[in-house]
Amino acid sequence: MNVKILRQASPFSKPYWQEFTYERNDNQTVAGMLDELNYKDDLKDKDGNPAPRIQWECSCLQGMCGGCAMVINHRPALACETFLRDIKGNTVILEPLKKFPTIADLVVDRGIIQENLKKADTYIEEYKGGNYEEYEHMYSAARCLKCGLCLEVCPNYKDGANFYGAAFANDCYLISARSAIRKEENKKAYDAHFAEGCSKSLSCVDVCPMQIPTLASIAKMNRKS
Amino acid sequence: MDKNEMRQKHILIVGSGIAGLSCAIECAERGMEVTLVSPFPSERAQSVLAAGGINAVLDSHEEGDSIESHIEDTLKGGCNIAGKESVRGLCAGAPERIKWLEKIGTVFTTDDNGTIMRRAFGGQSHKRTCYCGASTGKQIVTSLVMEARRYEGLGLIKRRFWMDFYEALIMDGVCYGAVFYNEATADLEMIAADSVVIATGGQNALFGKTTGSTLCDGYAAGRLFMQGVELKNLEFIQYHPTTLETAQKRMLISEAVRGEGGRLYYEEDGKRIYFMEEKFGERGNLMPRDIVSKTMESTGKDIFLDITFLGKKEILKRIPEVYELCLKYSGIDISKQSIPVSPSVHFFMGGIAVKNNHETNMKNLYAIGECASIYHGANRLGGNSLLAAVYGAKVAACSIEKSALTDETMYQEVEAIFQKDIDAGRAKLNEGRQSQSVFPAVYIRDMLAENMRKDLGIVRDEEKLKKGLDDVTYYLSVADKIKYDKSEMPFLSFSLTGILNLAKATLLSAMFRKESRGAHVRSDYPDTNDLYAYPSIVCFENGEFIVRLDKEGEYER
Repeated sequence: MNVKILRQASPFSKPYWQEFTYERNDNQTVAGMLDELNYKDDLKDKDGNPAPRIQWECSCLQGMCGGCAMVINHRPALACETFLRDIKGNTVILEPLKKFPTIADLVVDRGIIQENLKKADTYIEEYKGGNYEEYEHMYSAARCLKCGLCLEVCPNYKDGANFYGAAFANDCYLISARSAIRKEENKKAYDAHFAEGCSKSLSCVDVCPMQIPTLASIAKMNRKS
Repeated sequence: MDKNEMRQKHILIVGSGIAGLSCAIECAERGMEVTLVSPFPSERAQSVLAAGGINAVLDSHEEGDSIESHIEDTLKGGCNIAGKESVRGLCAGAPERIKWLEKIGTVFTTDDNGTIMRRAFGGQSHKRTCYCGASTGKQIVTSLVMEARRYEGLGLIKRRFWMDFYEALIMDGVCYGAVFYNEATADLEMIAADSVVIATGGQNALFGKTTGSTLCDGYAAGRLFMQGVELKNLEFIQYHPTTLETAQKRMLISEAVRGEGGRLYYEEDGKRIYFMEEKFGERGNLMPRDIVSKTMESTGKDIFLDITFLGKKEILKRIPEVYELCLKYSGIDISKQSIPVSPSVHFFMGGIAVKNNHETNMKNLYAIGECASIYHGANRLGGNSLLAAVYGAKVAACSIEKSALTDETMYQEVEAIFQKDIDAGRAKLNEGRQSQSVFPAVYIRDMLAENMRKDLGIVRDEEKLKKGLDDVTYYLSVADKIKYDKSEMPFLSFSLTGILNLAKATLLSAMFRKESRGAHVRSDYPDTNDLYAYPSIVCFENGEFIVRLDKEGEYER
């Protein structure tokens, strides 16, 4: 099959397209494919020209760390849980997430996610127990990978300068459910950096690899006003 | 006031998984200034894969359970070579650690009254494994990241990303900081500190793709070893009994499946043989991991794990992650089908040798979490690694709090003193940038992993170990001479020598221990021998590897 990758040598160099051929194995994932392309042999593009090794980020290889988030055939997804059997046609197109600065090839700097959570003081400080009926929701929200897929797909999120996106909203819900003293402050930050900017397209829910019920988080945050 | 007292103590923590995060928080809570360094955010740490749970005998314990019993199980599981005093501290400190985790917001699975639920885990006489569904590690990471954020806001924790550990700054047996390769500037960067804490996880790269993260490679332990830091018990490598083969890696099937009643079997003449139950009785499936893996290997059969009888509803409630994982990666519906499982490398009981306060043989250099070797002896019990990570982090922080500040004059001059080491490192990196070679460093990593899987498997013997040693010695002799593909991350090539030396030290430790104990099984020495009832220590002196037994308990005080 044909593998088309948007490449970039460093943060300051110009991006370019490069194509590779890969013997399709439907049970392989995009992550496994990248591994094989990179290290089965010397890497050559589809015309036989030597190519630099493809840079991409990975840690767990089983959809639990969010490292390998990228744009696969125009849809943001985790490479390690996107199987080639689900790729329609014979071409897979890989691009880095576009809402974050590119470091190299498919590696981006998602530091803004942590920065914004820090700016908005998203922490519990003093814990409040109880709420056991909300256990499943809290558990689910706490599974957020901070992978950035929800931000990539969001029509309202640009660069995180003011609107922080779904990852932030879910952390806000966790704070409101578990903090004894930071509820009010947390709600203010939520309103300023999420509620006022969200147009409820809910595309974030569709791409979330952890299937976090962001809509429920939003509903609870709005109710808690 | 002495000028030394003017400065806040500065702690450098390398690695931001559960151990590193916990230690950063504990240090910040004690008013120290922390720099927490890792290549990636904590969400990528291997800690997020820890599934099953964390052990503690809480007030609401099962009838008949006690801290004494937890201590006894841990020591026995470790085949009696872990330090009694440190294990006592671990088990006695466990309830407080759980309360702490709950207080900072960890979403533990509870009953309707808010009491934390416990599940049965291997090698334990009672149900004492607290858990958060089947993603305990992830839930803990989420709460720790939030708590660390609080101290970031206060300016006490400073997080640095895109930084790969390069080496420690060590002189005359004292550590003054560390050097990192900064991926953003593509240059080496020195960070001076009063104490350095290594929390870099296990040594997965020795075996290629294990159940863990590709980011945990053992380089830090290997490089520190070359700098004179002693390592301990390297021969004890845990093969987790139940892993699932997929196209891209071996995936862990949590022990929680057996904790919830899962049964291991193989098929013979169309009949299911529940071999663990036949051999060890009713609780056979929950024997310690070393015993389960050994027994599975000895059957020579394809092994399956059955949990179908729990029913889909309970499966989705108690172990949803396992259900999702099997369906996604193997197309197996575990509510209808058994899971094909086999043992695979999962955890390293061995690592950096530390005393009871988690300090290494270098003053002001500490190690915590999986990279440190202290509580688990020859085999670790499920649920004790998360405990060791959060408990050890606190012990280290308490010890660091009491230690003296580095002399101010020395602290100011650290950079000047180590400048020539940095220059040498830079020259080497520059040389790498000029390379025209297309040979990737990963090829050597891959060859090493293939050798280690063959020669340091579940069952070992002198011949295999010698062969492994020959191969690794050869790779070591060429690794520094080869020019590598410069389009790879520089870390991959500069980390090779450290990883290879660690592999060599591991093989030598395995050859040295001429007995079978826990996870170290030798077909040529099948019995446990009291002469070896001590931890092994390996050190590197003038290019020589020296292995010895810690008979005097140097590391148990």
